Amino acid sequence: MKRTTTVIIGAGQSGLAMSYELTARGVDHLILERGKIANSWRTERWDSLRLLTPNWMNGLSGADYRGQDHDGYMSVSDLIERLDRYADAISAPVVDETTVLGVTRAGVGFLVWTDQMLIECESVVVATGAASKASRPRFAGALPGGIADFTPLDYKRPGDLPPGNVLVVGASASGTQIARELQESGRQVTLAVGEHVRVPRSYRDADVLTWMEITGRWSTRYDEVDDLARQRRVPSFQLAGLAGDNPLDLNALQEIGIELVGRMAALQDGQAIFSGALNNACTAADLKLDRLLNGFDDWVRESGMEPLMAPSYRLPRTRIPKAPRLSIDLKREGFGAVIWATGYRPDHRWINLPVFDRKGNIQHDGGVVAAGLYVMGLPFLRRRKSTFIDGASEDASELAMHLENYLRRKQAA
Amino acid sequence: MNIQTEVKIADNGVNVEALLGAREALSEAPAAAQFTWRAACEWQNGVHSRSTVEGFFGLGEEHKHREAFAIDADHPAEFAAEDNGPTPVEIVLSGLASCLTAGVASVAQNRGIQLRSVRAFVEGDMDLFGILGIDADVRNGFSAIRVRFEIDADASHEDIAAVVAQSQKRSAVFDIITNPTNVHVTVA
Repeated sequence: MKRTTTVIIGAGQSGLAMSYELTARGVDHLILERGKIANSWRTERWDSLRLLTPNWMNGLSGADYRGQDHDGYMSVSDLIERLDRYADAISAPVVDETTVLGVTRAGVGFLVWTDQMLIECESVVVATGAASKASRPRFAGALPGGIADFTPLDYKRPGDLPPGNVLVVGASASGTQIARELQESGRQVTLAVGEHVRVPRSYRDADVLTWMEITGRWSTRYDEVDDLARQRRVPSFQLAGLAGDNPLDLNALQEIGIELVGRMAALQDGQAIFSGALNNACTAADLKLDRLLNGFDDWVRESGMEPLMAPSYRLPRTRIPKAPRLSIDLKREGFGAVIWATGYRPDHRWINLPVFDRKGNIQHDGGVVAAGLYVMGLPFLRRRKSTFIDGASEDASELAMHLENYLRRKQAA
Repeated sequence: MNIQTEVKIADNGVNVEALLGAREALSEAPAAAQFTWRAACEWQNGVHSRSTVEGFFGLGEEHKHREAFAIDADHPAEFAAEDNGPTPVEIVLSGLASCLTAGVASVAQNRGIQLRSVRAFVEGDMDLFGILGIDADVRNGFSAIRVRFEIDADASHEDIAAVVAQSQKRSAVFDIITNPTNVHVTVA
């Protein structure tokens, strides 16, 4: 049996940021990684994906972005390379190819069971990410035979899909990006659209995420917002890592020939059934977009920047098809594949401790789960940006401080 | 910029505190949130029927309305009937309007928006080729439903539109109409 003070599970941006903080505090630790560093980035992303955050926001703890392309969006392979180099630079104690099978209590500490060894430790940091599993609707199992289905975790490129039309279910960042790529590859795509968050890629001379940052929204803390549970469920922005007008806007997607339908509600006898509420989903997104842009405009006015910035404008309303289809007989209409882009969820089933709510979600207060147990990288964990690369540093710094205090109190007791 | 100094308190007659309290209490007790609504219907004559609504189940026990409510449904003379009440499809439209209107009042109250008047006008298009069995490609139900709200309130047009959007998002009847539901009919 091995012994260490802290076990970090997962060597992605969150786990590495925590390792940096623990090393700085002289806390002995190991990082367990089921594959190689940045494993989910390596194995569970599609080929063309680029980060949604501009490069200047992709700094890691103690390692700001130093490249030339501050406003660009890095490819996933660039990110993997950066994380590899970063792990080297901070001498992160990564134990790779080691899968955690269970975490249990042992006195006031923990036992971490893996397929390689058993480790005893005083504290555990769970940094396996928010997207370990793709969520599929309950009815996904009723898909007729002969139609392939994918999720954004196993979809790689258009050529992997069998011939035929494609139904993409879900219109947040993943669904809209994949829908666009498939339509441009020559497929006919139907996109099922539920509640979504429409934003322009850039507005009045700046990237929308830059606006989120400078107006304080990006760094808004979890203990500052009303109804945190709802905030943690807000779908991802309809954004791609591409400069210019947002090509994922539902108007832009319709212009390249994508058909819009409402939220997918059921699969019955080979018929995909869609909600008749598309109009409200789009109207609500337009209204929220205007509120967001009003907030940016207020900041410009209050900071006296008005004369220096491009003028304020509003985007055209989302064009809603007059009579979107309510059902599609998938086989008869020549559909070859369905992509379930209906969200992600973490996979914490190997934590054998009573720390879950009735829906199986880990309960935590800003990442603090229980004495000595921490979680990172979940939506709005401590800040709105917690799931983004630049969210990991600040979260790691604060949680490491909490962890250090916990160890000190424990030693004193 | 709002130059009013006093805090705006809207009174639309909705007890939002009680609703928010119930939301909090029920999130801790999910079993109590399981409700079953009921209606009983009795044939009168021809296509005239009378539904009675009285009991419902919720919060773990049986409840009764203050009184038993009766709703007559019939069909107009154009359908060779006696017109003793609205048609069932008109009752559905009125259910949608009532549900959305209740939502508008509640959401507005919660957002501190004073309502002066709210009117909803609902239309549902129907091709009788469906129910008459003339064309199998025509559905029995509505081919489209339109709702138009006329709202007079202390709020901007955008804020009113946001209230109406939120009321659709949280409306039971809107969901019932826009999404499928499994329906099981049995004969005793």
